[in-house]
Amino acid sequence: MNRHRWTAPALGLLVAGALAAPAAAADIEKALPFVADDYGKALAEARSQKLPLFIEAWAPW
Amino acid sequence: MRAFVFTDPALTSRAGQFVWLEMNVDDERNAAHRERLSVEALPTFFVLDATDESVVMRREDGMTVAEMDAFLEEAGRAASGKGASSPAEAALLRADRLNGERKKAEAAAAYREALDQAPPGWPPYGRAVVALLFLHPSLNEEAKCLALAREALPRLTGSPASVMVARSGLDCALGLPKDEAGRVAAVAEMEAATRKTLAPPGVGAAADDVSSSYLSLIQARKAAGDAAGATRDAEAWAAFLEAQAAAAKTPEQRAVFDSHRLSAYLELKQPERAVPMLEQSEADLPGDYNPPARLAVAWFEMKKLDEALAASNRALPKVAGPRRIQVLQRRSDIFAARGDAAAAREALAQALACAESLPPGQRSERTIQALKKRLEAPPAKPER
Repeated sequence: MNRHRWTAPALGLLVAGALAAPAAAADIEKALPFVADDYGKALAEARSQKLPLFIEAWAPW
Repeated sequence: MRAFVFTDPALTSRAGQFVWLEMNVDDERNAAHRERLSVEALPTFFVLDATDESVVMRREDGMTVAEMDAFLEEAGRAASGKGASSPAEAALLRADRLNGERKKAEAAAAYREALDQAPPGWPPYGRAVVALLFLHPSLNEEAKCLALAREALPRLTGSPASVMVARSGLDCALGLPKDEAGRVAAVAEMEAATRKTLAPPGVGAAADDVSSSYLSLIQARKAAGDAAGATRDAEAWAAFLEAQAAAAKTPEQRAVFDSHRLSAYLELKQPERAVPMLEQSEADLPGDYNPPARLAVAWFEMKKLDEALAASNRALPKVAGPRRIQVLQRRSDIFAARGDAAAAREALAQALACAESLPPGQRSERTIQALKKRLEAPPAKPER
């Protein structure tokens, strides 16, 4: 099974899964106003605005 | 996803419907959240009810813009607490909640119930199938996974989801016990289905999905003892990724394909093909550890150990968290191949120290034990 579990093609293991975003992708201009790596801040905003919280779990590899 | 989907203006209208959080799971600040949410694959997307932080919906794997838009539409409706409009939708909402709580067996049963009650043309059908196809293998239910792929493929013909469904069927067929009757036929059937989803003009699936399917095809050819066929598929894989990279509009978009391209070139035993792209990425993205870390791999495979060490030297100051362990392990391999056993051991010791320093959610006991085992082993003989 090649899929789904913590794939690490970046360092040469012959497994694949989601294509990796470069670290610089964090700085890409997005169409949506993402909060970066601050769960508490995002949760507080969601509560105050009475909105659901969308989370993208990713890694730069 | 990050370089393509979230940059698409088609999603702009969703901006005010959610609060948006991007969570780098390699960042120590996110370790506890990663653990609580049981992130097992990347990317994984969640929609949480902010009042109690319960997971309303969870989806693993990449999506196209259209699939993301549909996911957000459904998630927004689910989070609003509006009741289900049909038995199938009620079962799906329950399944999503259970999946969010990682009650996998219960979630799988609820997805099965939703699919059994799904009317023809039910819009969430593909998403429910994909969710269940993720769950079955994690419950060691390869036969159920295969059966679901067979059942769903006719209903999803021509849709982006068909790529993942066929590939899952193939992966699950390959995962059946080797002596199981029907395994060979199932692999052949799902391999053919997977090839069909990749045939021109394609079905508009995300590049992640297509790329992963090539790897499954390679594994299927290897399982059949067909090395030449595996090489042909690896060539097709590399060509697909090169075309995607050539069409990228930004360096970030192009570099997205580096990891899989390197894997394809290594599969072809042509690591030298990775060097120009990685040197370009290193120049374009000077703060990113990935290009020099991948160059260390490529140079190492080419037995260019001085270049490999130089690349490792450039990567190391830029990498932190769990990925630093891999960089240090490769560094150890490079030193060992150069005949410097002391430096190889020192790099492994640093990797172990790094692994032991990680917080829960990032810490892996399996990795720690593997590193300890390597440190206890006698030094490897140099390769040259």
